[in-house]
Amino acid sequence: MINTFDRFRVLLAGPILLGSLLCHSAALAQSPSSRVDPIEVWYTFAVDSQEEAIFLRAVDAFEKAHPDIPVKPTRIPYLQNLSQFINSSQAGEAPDVIRLSDSELGRVGHISVEGLPLLEDLRVHLTPMQRSRFDARALAAMRYGNPLYAIPVSQGCLSLIYNRKLFDQAGVAYPRDDWTTEELLRAARSLTRGDILGMSVPLKWSYWFVPVLSAFGGAMFDPSGRPTLDSPGSSEAMDWYLDLERVHGVTVSSTSLEAMSTQFLLEKSAMVFDGAWNWNTYANQGLDIGQAVMPVMAETGQRLAPLASYFGWAVSKQSDAKVDSVRLALWLTSADVQKEFALSTYMLPTDRSLARDPEIAADPVLAGYIRQIQHTVQVPTVRGASMVYEQLDVALEMTYTGEMTAADALAAADVEMERVLDR
Amino acid sequence: MRVLRLWAAVTLLALPIMAQAQAQPQTQPRVSVADTEPGYRQIQIDVAVSPDPRVAAYEIWFAENSFSSTRDALLHSRIAVMDVDGLERGAPGENYDYCQVDGLPAYLDADGNAVIDRNAARWSCALTGMVPGRDTWIAVVPVSADGLALVDVDGLQPVSGRTDASDERTPPPDTRPVLYALGSIILSTIVLLVFLRQRDARKGRTRSRLAHVYVAPAVIGLITLTFYPILYGIGLAFTDADQSHLGDEAWVGLKNFVTVFASPGMWRVTGFTLVWAIANTAAHVFFGLLLALALNRAGLTGKTVYRTVFLLPWAIPGYISVLAWNGMLQPEGLVNGVLGTSIDFLAGADSARLVVILVNIWLGIPFMMMTLSGALQALSADMFEAAEVDGVSRWDQFRYLTLPNLKSTMVPVSLLGFIWSFNSFNTIYLMTRGNPYVGFGEPGATDILITYVFSVAFEYGQYGVAAAWSVLIFLMLVVFSWLYLKKTRATEASA
Repeated sequence: MINTFDRFRVLLAGPILLGSLLCHSAALAQSPSSRVDPIEVWYTFAVDSQEEAIFLRAVDAFEKAHPDIPVKPTRIPYLQNLSQFINSSQAGEAPDVIRLSDSELGRVGHISVEGLPLLEDLRVHLTPMQRSRFDARALAAMRYGNPLYAIPVSQGCLSLIYNRKLFDQAGVAYPRDDWTTEELLRAARSLTRGDILGMSVPLKWSYWFVPVLSAFGGAMFDPSGRPTLDSPGSSEAMDWYLDLERVHGVTVSSTSLEAMSTQFLLEKSAMVFDGAWNWNTYANQGLDIGQAVMPVMAETGQRLAPLASYFGWAVSKQSDAKVDSVRLALWLTSADVQKEFALSTYMLPTDRSLARDPEIAADPVLAGYIRQIQHTVQVPTVRGASMVYEQLDVALEMTYTGEMTAADALAAADVEMERVLDR
Repeated sequence: MRVLRLWAAVTLLALPIMAQAQAQPQTQPRVSVADTEPGYRQIQIDVAVSPDPRVAAYEIWFAENSFSSTRDALLHSRIAVMDVDGLERGAPGENYDYCQVDGLPAYLDADGNAVIDRNAARWSCALTGMVPGRDTWIAVVPVSADGLALVDVDGLQPVSGRTDASDERTPPPDTRPVLYALGSIILSTIVLLVFLRQRDARKGRTRSRLAHVYVAPAVIGLITLTFYPILYGIGLAFTDADQSHLGDEAWVGLKNFVTVFASPGMWRVTGFTLVWAIANTAAHVFFGLLLALALNRAGLTGKTVYRTVFLLPWAIPGYISVLAWNGMLQPEGLVNGVLGTSIDFLAGADSARLVVILVNIWLGIPFMMMTLSGALQALSADMFEAAEVDGVSRWDQFRYLTLPNLKSTMVPVSLLGFIWSFNSFNTIYLMTRGNPYVGFGEPGATDILITYVFSVAFEYGQYGVAAAWSVLIFLMLVVFSWLYLKKTRATEASA
């Protein structure tokens, strides 16, 4: 029979063992270990865009072609993609491969763990011939400073999407590539009737403000990457943009990003500025939609130029299978995979050989977005690129509520950007 | 005449030789692999060539096996040969490739690609994309402007090279300090418990022989899972830890606290947090008690059904309820649909504040209702019957019997409710993310302290400053709890 003292000792043994194990684990924590895990890929795609299905098919094909390289794809919610990657990298648990946009690269680029960046510089992994397959602008967007942090896989931008049925009902001619903003506003006013808006523009989301900004000659950054939010033309651009509601009444300021899609889906608005990533969402609902290049600003003669956004596959610096990870990234960015992506999701390819592909050129949606991407602006992949939107959003809010003039708000936004960058 | 004939003969003989010389392919460039390894996945080759005006580029071919024809190899790169007037030399690390000509960095074309001077006799390149740990066979082929090879592409003599340079990999985070700390805390706690047990034994408290062992897991769990993270967070508040260099933070003293107090909107966000917490707690208690009293009425039929219905907001995961409210309050949402309006409830600062408070009140009532309902059922029915017989009014019964007897339940749950509301993250984050904006570099109109701390930590990446904010929140709640408990105990004593 066990007496009380023995029970005491037995019960005490557990915590002592736990404490000792922790100390022992501490001693072992730094010892190297080998890993035979599959390549972990984090991906995030737009809902309804069919991107996920095509991506998973591409991964399956890669595994069939490389049976010795297992792959574990993991879907990450879009809004958590970057923060989860940063946190997991700092905890030493980063995935091997991740899909990032150029603005996300701008945010990740300056972060380091133990003095090393979070992403692998892919310049040494690619031969010049492999690299030369890609569009130079797309490749440049994947560089943060000198290093190349991702292999570009797709590019996209906003464009003018319209509902043919609503145009027909109002007896308004469809938008054309040579439209001016006067024609756009005239059409929008004619289309605004009852609970139907001529346009759905998320007025307080600065990403949608960029095309107007560029049409007035403004820019968010200078070539060296310093913010220029109060550049000449910016305040005129902001006033013109907010006047879409304040003066013309063709849109409403309450339009959020979700509301824009909902209004268009419910046929409560006739036009939106939207990306190809949402085309399937609209088309699958049975909307009869068309697309045109953004119009020319009547006041300046310059075309509204949206931001060109780029996506690429990056490899973690922490990956212990970098050669295989790069092999997978190259597979996922191959011309065949990009072509399938383009034809199904309307995201534009970055492989130069596809620029004159007859199937892609024959697709009216892709052809339209290819025309639009010729009229885009590119933000340098710098740290500020991921921070600029918040400051512009605040400037839009302050101007809209009348607390500041556009010029003052933009000047304050620029000062705040400088402060944040110097922090 | 003889001289003329001799000249003619020589000329005739020389013509085919000259013609042959004109068509003769260039000799293969001499390629050697440098002994030094330029880096991971790179092999350095040195190339000696005979300058030839026909050469427009050099193609570098490679394969994992020896090859004699380009058909069995892959094209690695094509390096242009041209006049370099007006071109700039590249610098190591700036561009995609790094080539040298006669020991100097190669010139670069407009796209940043290396260019070889027409007159260069020696050049070298670090070839990227090589697979480490394997032999790679490399050959260089000069080509003309129209892309034709100037050497026999089926008679190549490649050289082999190999790179064994390992990749630069981030070392795993050093968890030793944390593990040592946790291990030491656990062992120290055990030693303390052993000491306390022996002391109790010496003092003759034999009834509690195993008490220390029984409490040991709970004490250790509390210390390691609660106290240690709090202390770690407090420590972090005095460092410059941020997202860009976590792990090598330095001690900065009170700098983060100065930053917090100097933050624009600091007092506004603290004020709104107090309004938010007090309004929520008061409304939770008021409506919870009202519903509990209603459900506790004698003779009410269908109590279980009512309780179940009122419990629904609590039974559904909070974030789903909040997202549902978010959708319903949109201009195209259900609320506007019912009202026949298209008001953006979340656009204005005041309306957004009111809406988030109302949604959180809706979420919190069921808990308070169930807790107080349980407490009401525990009250003696005889007491109320006696009061009824004595002719005490309903209001006085509530005021002098119900409320004082509920105090032992209401005080802790309202304190708990205040702390929960103070740190309630989900409602605001999912409804508005702290928006709308009210100024540059400031918390949003609906931000409370905890949502703003989240932004500071995970959107701005300032871990040290966020920790300083957290320490202040912690201190505020400790002070409030202490004052509240002290006050309510005093009331209890005087009653």
